[in-house]
Amino acid sequence: MKKTAKNIIEISGLTKDYPLGNTTVNALRGIDLNVQEGAFTSIIGPSGSGKTTLLNIIGCIDTATRGSVKVAGHEITGLNDKQITDLRLHTIGFIFQTFNLIPVLDVLENIEFPLLLMKKHSGAEIRQRAEKLADLVGLGEHVKHRPAELSGGQRQRVAIARALVTSPSLVLADEPTANLDSVTGGQILEVMRQMNRLEKTTFIFSTHDANVLKYAIGVTKLKDGVITAN
Amino acid sequence: MLALIRMSLRNLFRQKRRNLLLGSAIAVGVLLLVVANSFSRGISDVMINKVLRWVTGHVTVAYNERSRMASEIFRDKDRINAILDQHKDVILQREEAIGAFVKAIGVGKADNLMLIGLDFSAAGNEKSRKETEEAFRLIGGNWDDLNNSTAENPLIISQEKARYLGVKIGDILRIRLRNIYSQDQSARATVMGIVKSDNIFMQPVAFIDMQKIKDIMGFDAHSTGILNLIIKDPMRNAQPLADALHKQLNASLAVIPAAAQKSDLPITVLGYRSDPDSRDKLSKLLTLRQGAWDTLWKDKTALVSAPLAQRLRLKPGSSLEVRYTDKWGNANTPMLIKVGGIFDPQKVWGENTILANDEKFYEQFYEHWPRAAQPNEQAAIPGTSHTAYALLAPEWILLPRTLTTEDLEKKYQDMGKKKQKATLIDVRTMYEAGKMVLQLEGVLNLITLTAALILLFITLIGVINTLRMTIRERTREIGTIRAIGMQQKDVRNLFLFESFFLALFASIAGVILALLIMWGLSSITLRMDDNPLGMMLVNGHLYFLPTIWSVLGNMLLVLVLVVVTAFFPARRAAKLSPVEALRHTE
Repeated sequence: MKKTAKNIIEISGLTKDYPLGNTTVNALRGIDLNVQEGAFTSIIGPSGSGKTTLLNIIGCIDTATRGSVKVAGHEITGLNDKQITDLRLHTIGFIFQTFNLIPVLDVLENIEFPLLLMKKHSGAEIRQRAEKLADLVGLGEHVKHRPAELSGGQRQRVAIARALVTSPSLVLADEPTANLDSVTGGQILEVMRQMNRLEKTTFIFSTHDANVLKYAIGVTKLKDGVITAN
Repeated sequence: MLALIRMSLRNLFRQKRRNLLLGSAIAVGVLLLVVANSFSRGISDVMINKVLRWVTGHVTVAYNERSRMASEIFRDKDRINAILDQHKDVILQREEAIGAFVKAIGVGKADNLMLIGLDFSAAGNEKSRKETEEAFRLIGGNWDDLNNSTAENPLIISQEKARYLGVKIGDILRIRLRNIYSQDQSARATVMGIVKSDNIFMQPVAFIDMQKIKDIMGFDAHSTGILNLIIKDPMRNAQPLADALHKQLNASLAVIPAAAQKSDLPITVLGYRSDPDSRDKLSKLLTLRQGAWDTLWKDKTALVSAPLAQRLRLKPGSSLEVRYTDKWGNANTPMLIKVGGIFDPQKVWGENTILANDEKFYEQFYEHWPRAAQPNEQAAIPGTSHTAYALLAPEWILLPRTLTTEDLEKKYQDMGKKKQKATLIDVRTMYEAGKMVLQLEGVLNLITLTAALILLFITLIGVINTLRMTIRERTREIGTIRAIGMQQKDVRNLFLFESFFLALFASIAGVILALLIMWGLSSITLRMDDNPLGMMLVNGHLYFLPTIWSVLGNMLLVLVLVVVTAFFPARRAAKLSPVEALRHTE
């Protein structure tokens, strides 16, 4: 009998409302979504459809107005800031559209940074792990460069390595190729897919670019805060 | 922690110009604080270790005999010295402060001088001589001429006074002063040296050999003037030493163990206190067999015990001469007693007791201090617990210790209201005595520190603004590190570290600049001979006294202020919502 994979994300009835002036914007309207461990799935939809909001809530950096969100078995709606921060550090990796690297740290230091925050590895272990990931994303030659000295694609590779350095269960990437040309974007998605295979890490990435979809294993379509296809 | 420190240090170089400006402002703040603090410490040092130390010493044992103005004398030098000898470990130097305000008459002009006795010949006074010679630079004559035996009362005066009085070296000045008996005394003095004074406080000072001034004032070989004690670590030791000396100077009853002139009949002469309150109590305590209280008080006569009166056939109005051995072995020291009353000794008093009026009694007692009473002679004296004890004359009156200048002033005011017959002894420290000087120091401290703190306050507003600007610019970065998993307290600490390191580097730069500036300013020679501000100078130079602890204290103050100021914007940065921070655009 084929073994069924566990769900790393379990969302039911998720609603997110924003106040905007005197009105309320309903960014998400009753989302139900499960994502299995090891998935390489994409959330697609036009601008304003709620992709980023959904990723932010899954990534525990934003809160739901209503509904239940379970990440790696933790119901996140009842956690305090410290617990949520710990959950982000140990369970989730982030890849941002604008890379969001720390400008004063070089490539290796950027990659090491989340491990340093965990405060449970030795310096040598941290360095070894960061170097391995830098090699994996193809930046072994640039470890001493600062972000300002790298191209967009290289920066996003650093961001990927940083997201993976803590061996998280889940990596969330919000439009990771939006600021890259199509060739580089493709390469970045290849790297992410490769990491998904090598590290067995669940990847959820948002995009509004239909070309990106060919890299995804699963696709969730979002429109006006509602899932239209899964 | 290391990662935070590394990031914060590197962040300092992100906005180089802004941080350089802010760092410069902090450095200037620290510079002013260190310079101001070192300057006021320098003034304190001058005040405490030069001015006050010269005027009062660190601890003073002062006397006043029979409430007479110029009678700052204690006639049993050995007794005081024996007590001081027990504190040799703390007392570095004891200086007899004998001085007098004199009217000096020169050539057609007269002026006031503060005549100070110097004892350069005594062992252990080499340091004192050196300090005097450094403070008062001789421009004519020789310090050794103070002991010149061919000149009459050799004197060293300031250039300004010499000019005003129209005298030069070798000229004679006539001086007029009040001696220890409150009598006007005049003498001739020869100008043997002229000194240059650094400030106006030094101008009226004139020096004379200690023995010469003692002779003019009327001191004998057994007497001592006020003693100024220079001690180790005065801040720590002055009060305990003063307290210990005060305890040891507790007075006993004044007793003259005498004998009748024509027989060897032992007689104990005591003094009775003649203030109205004591007189009232004494008249209630004693039964008068002959004589009347009113006459007794008026004539200041003595009370003789009935058995003694009977043996010597004394009655009110008769006189009696007794003899005793004084402290220095002179037997047959006479004392004349006029009898005013005969009292019943009951069981309290010895059979051969005379109670002399304290005014008359002290005249005799201090001029010819008697030997101590033997144990068998003490049997005739009421014990400390007896009511009569408080009505009898003590050897001296020890004034209570006071810890504040206010209490000291009150003590002197109270003392001034009563005309005491006994010698008063007071033990005080410069901290109580030098109020004006120490207050001036406090005011200077306050002014300089306030000015420096105002500047620092302005700098701190700069710290807040800069930090707010930095946080605003780095909001997305804060969102990123929070999203990655940095806790709020670490974000706060990141900004605190940045402020701390900026303040630390700026403080170090400020201290280095301050040291250079102080070095530069103190190497300039200033001439302020006639200006009161001249008191702030040492040998014509500004005097700064930075110590490692005061400089570190100033740095610590700035660091704490900067970090505390940075705390609130840093905490606000830490509390930013990650999602809001990530959405932030400039």
